[in-house]
Amino acid sequence: MTVTGDTTTPAPARAMLFLYWRSWVNRLRSQAARVRSPRYIVAVLLGMVYLYWALFRNTRAGGASLTQLLLADVTVVLASTLLLVSSARWWLFGADRSALAFTPAEVQFLFPAPITRRGLVHTKLLRMQFAIFVNTIIFSVIFRGDATQVATWARAIGWWMLFSTLAMHRVGASIVRASALEHGTAGRRRMWIPVIVFSALIGAVLFGVITEFPALRAASVGGFKPLVKALTQALQAPVPHAALAPVRLLLTPILTAGTPEWAWSVLWAGLVVLGHYLWLVRLDASFEEAAIEATQHRAQVLQRFRASQMGQARSKKGKLTSVPKLALTGRPEVAIAWKNVAAAVRGGSWKAQLVSFVVGLSALALISRSASERAGDALMGVAVGWGAMLLFLGPLWMRFDLRLDLPRLEILKTYPLEGWRIVVAEIAAVTILHSITIWSLLTVPVVMFVQDPQLFIDSGATVPILVSIVVGVPAFNALMFTIQNGTALLFPAWVRLGTESRGFETMGQNLLTTGATTLVAAVALVFPVGAGALVLWLTNDWGGWSVLAATMLASLIIAAELWPVLRWLGTVFEETDISDVASTT
Amino acid sequence: MIDVSEYTKLYGDTVAVRGLSFHVAPGDVLGLVGPNGAGKTTTLRALAGILQPTSGRIEVAGLDLQKDPVAAKARLAFIPDEPQLFDYLTVTEHLHFVARLYGVQDAAPRIPALLEELELTAKKDALPPELSRGMKQKLAIACGLLHRPAALLLDEPLTGLDPVGIRRMKETIAARAREGTAVILSSHLLHLVEELCTRLLVIRRGQMVAFGTIEEIVAARPELAGRSLEEMFMALTGDDGAPDPTGIAAS
Repeated sequence: MTVTGDTTTPAPARAMLFLYWRSWVNRLRSQAARVRSPRYIVAVLLGMVYLYWALFRNTRAGGASLTQLLLADVTVVLASTLLLVSSARWWLFGADRSALAFTPAEVQFLFPAPITRRGLVHTKLLRMQFAIFVNTIIFSVIFRGDATQVATWARAIGWWMLFSTLAMHRVGASIVRASALEHGTAGRRRMWIPVIVFSALIGAVLFGVITEFPALRAASVGGFKPLVKALTQALQAPVPHAALAPVRLLLTPILTAGTPEWAWSVLWAGLVVLGHYLWLVRLDASFEEAAIEATQHRAQVLQRFRASQMGQARSKKGKLTSVPKLALTGRPEVAIAWKNVAAAVRGGSWKAQLVSFVVGLSALALISRSASERAGDALMGVAVGWGAMLLFLGPLWMRFDLRLDLPRLEILKTYPLEGWRIVVAEIAAVTILHSITIWSLLTVPVVMFVQDPQLFIDSGATVPILVSIVVGVPAFNALMFTIQNGTALLFPAWVRLGTESRGFETMGQNLLTTGATTLVAAVALVFPVGAGALVLWLTNDWGGWSVLAATMLASLIIAAELWPVLRWLGTVFEETDISDVASTT
Repeated sequence: MIDVSEYTKLYGDTVAVRGLSFHVAPGDVLGLVGPNGAGKTTTLRALAGILQPTSGRIEVAGLDLQKDPVAAKARLAFIPDEPQLFDYLTVTEHLHFVARLYGVQDAAPRIPALLEELELTAKKDALPPELSRGMKQKLAIACGLLHRPAALLLDEPLTGLDPVGIRRMKETIAARAREGTAVILSSHLLHLVEELCTRLLVIRRGQMVAFGTIEEIVAARPELAGRSLEEMFMALTGDDGAPDPTGIAAS
């Protein structure tokens, strides 16, 4: 900054660079400080391995195919059409107001500061570049083909140009629309030209599709692939081809990377980027009010997301989702379980999802069984597969237990209850709710039995197996949720607590949790499954009611295993220092 | 009612609180004051059974908080500076939850009365995210008062309250003290401490620098005579010329 007497000349760009640079450095520092803890090192390493695997594996899997896909005619034509439609949407149907959003801190510091409107636009552009760079890197890596080639880097420049132009266009459209709303008729006049231009471009594309409609219809008979091919040819006709030319200009540097045409294509695309930049910084239209509104909206959405994790407790009419009434007297553990049920019902829309799930399954069962026996069997197969997935993955998603409550450990620890009782109560609610979710899959066989009673009579082993599922599911869920909650208590740094987490270690945390759950569950199931199998072997009845006896024995063994574990976890809960948890949330 | 003996809390090699001993009798309101980072919240959390002392003993209503934590916790209430509420329970449901948790027998008539006392009746069906900061604070306090705790621990209880709310809150705290509740109140608002508290506990860097009524503290430090509480606070907690902390604590 330049000193002029007692004050200095405002230098917003430098101030913003300082802000973003220091924020980035400080974030890295705080993450590095966390890594000093051995358990975080493991999580970070796993996260990095995962990132490497996710982004770089395409080399080993033959990444050239992805690049070839990018260069295909169909990709070029369809991508340019989609980009054109996306840009036209901002003008014709209203721009996305979040494009103007700043962070609340930026609004607090920048808007009252002596910064010109152009300065604010530059701030926005600077901020956008962070996301654009990340996207450029990701897309370049995915579509790189071979990182040792110059073409990879040339293509990266193409990606950057495309993303930058799109971002500037989106912000520009938002500013013009916001200004139009603020200035009434005079403002709306500014909108006419872009609206006419984009209407004409979209009209040209539609013209190409409509004129080739008979060909498209004929191609559709042959399936999806011929239809896409016919659509591509329709869009390559002179009129739509001309309409898509400006977008194609931006795509060409990506497509021509590594060829002599690349330099020219970059020049043309560069002119488009420069044109957008000049247009944006010279707009000088008032957008501050819309920006503040967008910022507040985004902050509210974020806050709602963080607070609720999934949904809203009230309907659009403001009605609160009802939960069973809690009696004022009785066992205190029930209050904790009830609280978690309320969170699942109101925050996770559990009840609404269950009802729609059961109704949907009933309808599907009715339709499929009516259609053919084969369709009915197929639906049963899907239900079994879905149930198996819910058993193993459900406890990762359903988090209305200690994983949600541990950030409030300060309050949980004041409850006049022994630790193990709190742990049991926290796990009980999700176990019951998730068991009901899985039981709801039984709607499929039940509806089929009602529809066709003979099916029930001839069901053979099906009924004992279904009853065994009803009996066994709660025990299995209790085991899985105990493992999840136990991991959260023992290693709060390894488990995503509360509602927000980010960074490399988050990926590592999720991997560790999944790995640990699977491993511990496998070990814990050795005795129950072994004892159940022994019952079946001794009775030599693998499809009758012995299955139920085996399941009951296995469930009892799981309960016997869980009892000391839950008591021990209660001690762990009592001994957990709130600072251990606070540092992870 | 609250007896603390040689309470010490260490985090690794860092001393958060060292050798704190004091007693709060029924009906007493103890003002816990000290600069930021002095160990006030750590002390309150230990008294609430949230933190385990590294050494020392804490008793609530004659019950050892370490040996009989459940019974001791049933007799105390802790209201943290940042209200910790459940996003999916309404105001009334929070009180139902606490009633069940603490086994409050007469909760049915007490809940509407508490809502009225803390001006929450109009918001009884609201969820915490729909409440202002002050309302959340009032709800947290209502939850703390429902089971008639023998010991009430308040960390910055007036944060976020409007002037009317502040007055009501002061009346509420004073009323509980009159009913025989032992109150410990941590606050940076010295006028609140002066108005409500019967005794003061001043801590600095985890150690007690003064304890007792203002008269007792002045008796131990005659140079503080005639000074305002703010001036006394500065003298007691300031780095300049502060004498050995352990040497000036009154009884």
